[in-house]
Amino acid sequence: MTPLDWTRHPPALTPGYFSSLTRSPREGLIPLDPTEAELTGPVFGTQDIGEMDADLIHNAASPDAMAIGPRILVHGRVLDETGRGVPDALLEIWQANAGGRYRHARDGYLAPLDPDFSGFGRVLTDEDGGYRFDTVMPGAYPFPNGPNAWRPAHIHFSVFGWAFAQRLVTQMYFEGDPMIRHCPIVATLPSAEAVDALTARYDPDHDRPMDARAFRFDIVLRGRRATPMET
Amino acid sequence: MNVSRPQTPSQTAGPFLHIGMIPSTNTLIQPLPPGEPITLHGTIFDAEAAPVTDALIEMWHPEAGWVRSATDGEGAWQLAATRPATAPFVNLWIIARGINTPLQTRLYFPDTDWQSDPAMAHIPEARHATLVASQATTGAYRLDIRLGGEAETVFFDLKGEDT
Repeated sequence: MTPLDWTRHPPALTPGYFSSLTRSPREGLIPLDPTEAELTGPVFGTQDIGEMDADLIHNAASPDAMAIGPRILVHGRVLDETGRGVPDALLEIWQANAGGRYRHARDGYLAPLDPDFSGFGRVLTDEDGGYRFDTVMPGAYPFPNGPNAWRPAHIHFSVFGWAFAQRLVTQMYFEGDPMIRHCPIVATLPSAEAVDALTARYDPDHDRPMDARAFRFDIVLRGRRATPMET
Repeated sequence: MNVSRPQTPSQTAGPFLHIGMIPSTNTLIQPLPPGEPITLHGTIFDAEAAPVTDALIEMWHPEAGWVRSATDGEGAWQLAATRPATAPFVNLWIIARGINTPLQTRLYFPDTDWQSDPAMAHIPEARHATLVASQATTGAYRLDIRLGGEAETVFFDLKGEDT
């Protein structure tokens, strides 16, 4: 296992993102040597994926209905730091609808709910680490962080690799979105390169013509799988 | 080690993580390993001692299984797992709005020789107690987690093996 790369991950305290002020440890992290309890993790499989989980356009829609919004597909690979694909990685996905509203009791934004969209998705990577899901482009929305703060369009990801030490929670943004450079949460990232790594690229080679635009987002987990010993 | 790809950065899970991680149907469940059933519970507090009502906590140990719990309106969480047969601890992992990179900690069982666990050697003695659960009733252990302020919980940064 490799250490977390703190030139890539945001620090706990980021005063421009107000919620971090009371939720950021100040004592400093204690170094921990990895043990079996961090180098192993839960194992997920196809039994954990519902038939419609990777189709957010239809998975909460009434029969013959569809989610409202620009149709997109998101695809990419989950890799380790040597660039090898991570098979059977579980991705949990959640997002706002096309108007920027979450189907959540605590979201009071005035944009309407879409009765045919929940924003829930789940997908397992294939043998090469590849994944793909269909959804609608999420909308930007305001959030309480000073007089006027907006989130760029984004999709939340939770990722399980093979080790609990690899657990990752992140957000994917969209190439060309002018909201990215104004967002206090994006600004928690330590470098422009880190922002770039979370920005999905429009990928016309994988569009479904007359149907959906494709965006590509690769996810790199810390570490590498041990090479089997040669005997 | 031949590193060619930099790690994908973390971002906060935000306040609506339940949509993806605690869906009302199709809940993610792992079978628990055989052994003594236990429950772990506690409250997550912020640096001002206010309960954190929109957090998610996951527990993992190969001898204990994998489970997760969202905190409720009082900041409380509860997990049903298996008592590790040999280890004095389980790993805990916490995310929430305002947590930029997930927080990694441990729950140590009070009725073990937790003092001799190698991780304790790196922790000031005055902070040990933040990691040691109390036994509420038989098989039920309580650990409160404080993200900051007085008696801030110990959080870990996992190091590399040979770097």
